[in-house]
Amino acid sequence: MFDISPDHAIALYTGMLAIPPALFLLKVRLAGRAVPGTVLAASVLMAVAGAIHLGLVWTHLGEPVTAVLFVLNGISYLVLSQLFTWRWWRIASAGLITMTLLGYLGFIVLGFDSPDQVALATKLLELTTLGLVLVPVRGEARKPHRGWRWSALGVAVPLLTLMTSSVVWVIDLARPDAQHVHAGAVLQSTNDVATPEQFAAAQRLYDQTAAAIAPYTDWHVAWAAGYRPGGPQDQPSTHWMNPRYAAYVMDPRHPQGLVYANSKHGPVLLGAMFQMQHLGQFGPDPGGPLTAWHQHQNICFTPFGVEFSLMTPTATCPLGAIDVSVPPMLHVWIVDNPGGKFAVDIDSRVVKQIDQG
Amino acid sequence: MIKAESSDRAEAAFVLLIMQSLFWLIAGISAVPFAIAGEVFMAPLAVATMLLALLTCLVAIGIVWRRRWARGLAIAIEAVCLFGSAVLLLIPLGFNRGPVSLMVNVLLPVAVILLVRKDEGAYS
Repeated sequence: MFDISPDHAIALYTGMLAIPPALFLLKVRLAGRAVPGTVLAASVLMAVAGAIHLGLVWTHLGEPVTAVLFVLNGISYLVLSQLFTWRWWRIASAGLITMTLLGYLGFIVLGFDSPDQVALATKLLELTTLGLVLVPVRGEARKPHRGWRWSALGVAVPLLTLMTSSVVWVIDLARPDAQHVHAGAVLQSTNDVATPEQFAAAQRLYDQTAAAIAPYTDWHVAWAAGYRPGGPQDQPSTHWMNPRYAAYVMDPRHPQGLVYANSKHGPVLLGAMFQMQHLGQFGPDPGGPLTAWHQHQNICFTPFGVEFSLMTPTATCPLGAIDVSVPPMLHVWIVDNPGGKFAVDIDSRVVKQIDQG
Repeated sequence: MIKAESSDRAEAAFVLLIMQSLFWLIAGISAVPFAIAGEVFMAPLAVATMLLALLTCLVAIGIVWRRRWARGLAIAIEAVCLFGSAVLLLIPLGFNRGPVSLMVNVLLPVAVILLVRKDEGAYS
C-alpha cells in the first residue's frame, strides 16, 4: 500500500505530463468565457486522471480486459475534461468518477490488483474532483439543482472516501504480500525455503547469541553494560537499548538491544535485538528465510505512553502521533516462542506466562 | 455556458477542507482498535483527532459562508499542518515521502492557504 508498484510507476509521469496540455487547452477554449474555477480545476484533474489510466495501458498489455478498461476509462476522463460546458457534464462526470472508484474497489476485492501509492493517489484525485464537480458556486448564472448538488456532495464524497480507505486498508491487511506479512513491518527478501546450510547458520547465530547474552538475565549486568529501557515499564515487555553498540553489525556479543518482560518479579530476559543504523539497510542474513530482518515502517508513534498505531491509507496519523519508520532489526528469542526463535514479535501468551510464573 | 459572477475560491477550499476533515476522521477511527487493545493513550488521541476533524468540517462550512473567523482558522490549521510536515520531512525519522503523503500533508494545506489567502474582502 505504501510502495509504488513497478508497473504503475509510469502512470505518475503520464499524469504529471498531462497538466501543461490540460492548462493550455483550457486557456484556448476559455477565451472570453466565464467558467467557475471549481469546474476548471475539475477539468484539469480529470485530464490528469485520464492520462494516469492511459499510462497504465502499456504495462498491462498482458491483461487484455484490464488494458481495455484502462483505455475506456482514460478516454472517458479526457473527453469529459473538455466537455465542461455541456449541460449534462456534472452528472456524467460524477457518474464516471463514482463508477471508476467502485470499479477499482471491486477489482482489488476480487484480487485482480493490489493497492499501491499510484492507485491511492489517483483515488484521492478522483474524490477531490468529484467534490469540485458537485459543489455549487455562488453567483452561477444558471443554478441547476443546487439542493441536489449539495446533498450529493454531502453524501457521496464522505461515503466514497470512507469506503475507499476502508476497503484498501482491509485488503492490504488481509492479503499482504510476502514482504508485508506483519502489519507495520516489511520483511527482508529471502529465498522461500531454508537450505541445510542456512539451518546450520541460523542455529549457530542462535547459540552464539544465547550464550553471549546469558549474563544479562540479571538486568543489573545489562544496566552496567550500558543498556537502558527504551520505554515505560508498565508494558508487557520493554526493549533496552545500548547506544554504545550502534555501529556493530549482528555481533552476538554486542547486540544493540535486549528485550525484557516486565514481570512482577522484575525484568525477565526474553531475547536480543540486532539493529542496523539506516532505513532500508537490511543486515546479513545467514539463515535465509529463518533470519530475515524486518523494518517497521509507517507506524504512528506517540510519546504519550510510547504507543503505536498504523498510518492510514491516506497517510495520516492520529493527533499527537507522528509517522515514523525504524531501521531494520532482527530478534533472537531465548525463551520458547511459538512464532520461532527469530520471529518479528514475541508471543503475548509467553510474556503473560512469565509474568504469572 | 456557465458564468460566474463572484469568486469561487471559497468553494474549492471547502472541498479540500472536507477531504482533510475526512482524512482526520479516518485517522481518529484507526486509533480506536489500538485503544481497545490496551493502548490507553490512543483513546484520548482518537477523540482529539475526531474533534479536529469536526472542527475542520465546521471551518469548511464557515469558508463557504464567507466567514472571516473561518478564513483565519483555516490559515492557522493549514500553517500548523505545513510546519509539522516540514519538520517531519527534515528530521530523519522515516516520515513517508510517497505521493499520497505529499498530496495530503503538503499539497493540500498549500492549496487551501493559496485559495483563502486572496479575496480577503469576500469574507465578513
